[in-house]
Amino acid sequence: MSSDERTGLYVESTIIMTTVRVVAPFVLTFALFVMFHGANSPGGGFQGGVIAGSVVMMLAFAYGIDAAREWLDVRVVAALASGGVLTFAAIGLGTIVLGGNFLEYHLYEQFISHVVAYAIELVELAIGGIVASVAIGLFFLLAAGFGHAVDAPEDES
Amino acid sequence: MTLSLIEGLLLVFVLGCAIGAAVLRDVLASLMAFAAYSLGISIIWVMLEAPDVGLTEAAVGAGIMTILFILALANTVRPQENGLFESLSVRTVVLVGAFVVVMVATVPSLPAIGADGAANPVVSGEVTQHYIDNAYADTEVKNAVTAVLAAYRGFDTLGEAVVVFSAGVAALTVLRQEVFA
Repeated sequence: MSSDERTGLYVESTIIMTTVRVVAPFVLTFALFVMFHGANSPGGGFQGGVIAGSVVMMLAFAYGIDAAREWLDVRVVAALASGGVLTFAAIGLGTIVLGGNFLEYHLYEQFISHVVAYAIELVELAIGGIVASVAIGLFFLLAAGFGHAVDAPEDES
Repeated sequence: MTLSLIEGLLLVFVLGCAIGAAVLRDVLASLMAFAAYSLGISIIWVMLEAPDVGLTEAAVGAGIMTILFILALANTVRPQENGLFESLSVRTVVLVGAFVVVMVATVPSLPAIGADGAANPVVSGEVTQHYIDNAYADTEVKNAVTAVLAAYRGFDTLGEAVVVFSAGVAALTVLRQEVFA
């Protein structure tokens, strides 16, 4: 899949680049607001994660998918996805270790006060990380096209 | 039940978009109709006082899904065909029409919007009341939806999060990639 095949997707535009440059920090802030404030207002990890993921898509829209792919550290995306699942599972299983049921937040109260609200925020952030990274990942996978699968030899796996 | 002008217009808009998404011949046009449908539905969710669902519909349905569909479309060949609408066979129309009739037949059995007490089993139900009465004391979060999502039904939510994660891993496996990007 050479880059000339994808040139049709990207048009360099000063207006789009400037707009995205100005708007992107606010969108990311809004995504974090939706994730953090989801406990007390509409929103939460799923919605905030999608909005955070859309920031990367905006950047790809403005600066080109290939440039965005080079800029993005794949380790961060992978760490957000797997770290999110591990964090959520660890919070849930931790209460079992303490002798309670799965996700029985109150058992953490002995270490930190008002821990239930904090733990729920952490769970929302973990969900947000999973959703954002998978959305970004699917975006780049689809943008790369399906040429890789055809090119790869069948006996590779 | 009476509809306000905005509600009526939104319902007509959403129905029009849904029909457009089904019958438009050009895939990109159909996709745009689908995105507009999602946006309309998300506003309807907000009007029905379900802002959490509305926010999800706007972000996922109208936002990410449209982008992913367009990217998939960019990787395919769009056949140049004449005609604005798909030609519909009588059999399809009858089948879909019958399905719509069945769905509409269930509408009268739903409680009226805003109905209270015994008229609305969803609001007056024991489980709903338990959540409304105890959510803040139990979880210290003011949004009862979040309390149900992250605390009362936390195990389900872990399952949902793992499903999203697995979808990403499955896409990587199918496309024989090792990293996202």
